[in-house]
Amino acid sequence: MINFFNTYQSLLDHILVNMLLAASQYVVLRAGVFSLGSAGFAALGAYCTALLTTKLGWNPWLSVVVGMMLGTLVSALLALPLSRLRGVFQAVATLAFVQIVLSATQNWVALTNGPMGVNSIPHAAGTASLLLIVVAVVVFLVMMGRYSFGRALDVIREDETVAVSLGISVPYYHRIAFVLSGALAGLSGGLHAISSYSITPQDYGFGLLVAALAMVVLGGRTTVWGALVGALVLTSLPEVFRVFADYRAVVQGLLLMLVIIYLPRGLADTVIAHLKDRRLRRTAAPPVIAAPVGVLTAQTRSRS
Amino acid sequence: MLMQQLLNGIVVGSVYGLFALGFTLLFGVNHIMNMAHGSVFMWGAFAGLFAVLQFDAPIYVALLIGMLAGGAVSVLLDLVAFRPLRRRGGPEFSAIVSSIGADLVLISIAQKLSNTAVMRFPFDAFPVIFFSFMGMRVQLLQLVIMALVVIMVVGLVWYLYRTSFGLRIRSVAYAEQTSRLLGINPGPVNMQVFFISGALAGMAGVLIGLVFNSVHFAMGEPLLLRAFVIIIIGGLGSIPGALIAGMVIGIVQTLSVAYISSGVAEAIVFLALFVVIVLKPTGLFGQPTAAMRVQRA
Repeated sequence: MINFFNTYQSLLDHILVNMLLAASQYVVLRAGVFSLGSAGFAALGAYCTALLTTKLGWNPWLSVVVGMMLGTLVSALLALPLSRLRGVFQAVATLAFVQIVLSATQNWVALTNGPMGVNSIPHAAGTASLLLIVVAVVVFLVMMGRYSFGRALDVIREDETVAVSLGISVPYYHRIAFVLSGALAGLSGGLHAISSYSITPQDYGFGLLVAALAMVVLGGRTTVWGALVGALVLTSLPEVFRVFADYRAVVQGLLLMLVIIYLPRGLADTVIAHLKDRRLRRTAAPPVIAAPVGVLTAQTRSRS
Repeated sequence: MLMQQLLNGIVVGSVYGLFALGFTLLFGVNHIMNMAHGSVFMWGAFAGLFAVLQFDAPIYVALLIGMLAGGAVSVLLDLVAFRPLRRRGGPEFSAIVSSIGADLVLISIAQKLSNTAVMRFPFDAFPVIFFSFMGMRVQLLQLVIMALVVIMVVGLVWYLYRTSFGLRIRSVAYAEQTSRLLGINPGPVNMQVFFISGALAGMAGVLIGLVFNSVHFAMGEPLLLRAFVIIIIGGLGSIPGALIAGMVIGIVQTLSVAYISSGVAEAIVFLALFVVIVLKPTGLFGQPTAAMRVQRA
């Protein structure tokens, strides 16, 4: 057991960090904000943390907090114009943000060392502390999802007109979801920096953006469990199937296509919806009220 | 010097415009962002190069083969990645995710085939002839490229606005349900649009491969990102917008690479995109309807 743990410890750390990234992508998608900016905020958090610890000698954990605050601040600024946009426009605007951050990390050599990246960052984050942070974040997200905030996000995602008619301010909730996503991505980036010794600009480019999206699509984007499952599967898949290491991108791409076409709600969400359905059928009384139980009603009933 | 750079910018920009034209056409008709359009472009370049290297094909044959290959890959994408989603009426979000998946697959197959190597057209693939014109050095290749782009654009506009096929495409783009009622089968129309946009991308692939004399598996991604900028600045679904914005981006990029640095060029281009998208999301030539058609993710 100890042996197993030692072999896979770095993989485990990686999974935990990616879970935070997936959670960041999940928060925006749940609110119906099509943001691809998580990779950019993760880059900000990671570079902030790495530079503060290596160049100024700050305490790594303090630098992570500052990195997370930087992610929050920048996402709060971006949220103002972004909450006016919808759909594809949000996606492309956040894509542009990721590219701007990427070219800054690549070309501002005096600050970021350019393509060489930042090396010899102190390895301060152990598996236990990462696990603790992930648990805290998940508890926070689950609690928040259960109350009016989560319901407002669900309504906005499902039908914006209904949300407006219920008196829910769409730009307000879009902004909050976006800032939360920026904070989580900044945290994930900072933790990545202090758990992996070195970071390079390539770690935070288009590839990470696709990976974050893929995790949430694979797992499911209406519950936080979906993000966790997606991060777990997509991060460990290449390690478990070493045989396919050469064809890792092919497998990942095929998986994305198959899941979005045949399992559009994602792995975890499909399972959860199925369980809820069964529980409802068992508790729900005789087939007199056999009206088709829609997904939305099923969710709201089981929550109340 | 400035004039020379401007000329280079216009040539590169017109190829960008050609690529973005197919991208914007797909958005205008099918309302999807095809994230795999960059790999269609790359496969076009691969096919053209293959024809030249294996069969000593002359360059115009290679161009045709590149176009056919691009069109074929694009139609295949439609069948595999988009049609199942369309049939179910999945949201726009799922089309983007599915095409990202297809993109990963296409890129890694190309990487395997090429062994991650950067390949080149043979030196004599295209005759290197220079003209002097008002103190500028103009390559024959540059003239041919501009002529080709003009021909393709005129041909496309003629096809869209002067033939019955084009009429069908436009009516499906305007209202798919209504055209179905009027007896137009959207399936073949969509396939045509995918073929045309793929062929444009394939041609752009061979041309870019010739201009920069390098063909490699990752050549699609930077162009796709640039095409995003172009179609947003030009207005989603707008043909003149794509061409003009393509030229502008080509010129801005060439000038800032020549006078500042290539890293700054990228930042300037994406900053411009961000400003346009926040201040005027419909772009310079877009119609407001294009923005309204965009559904929620």
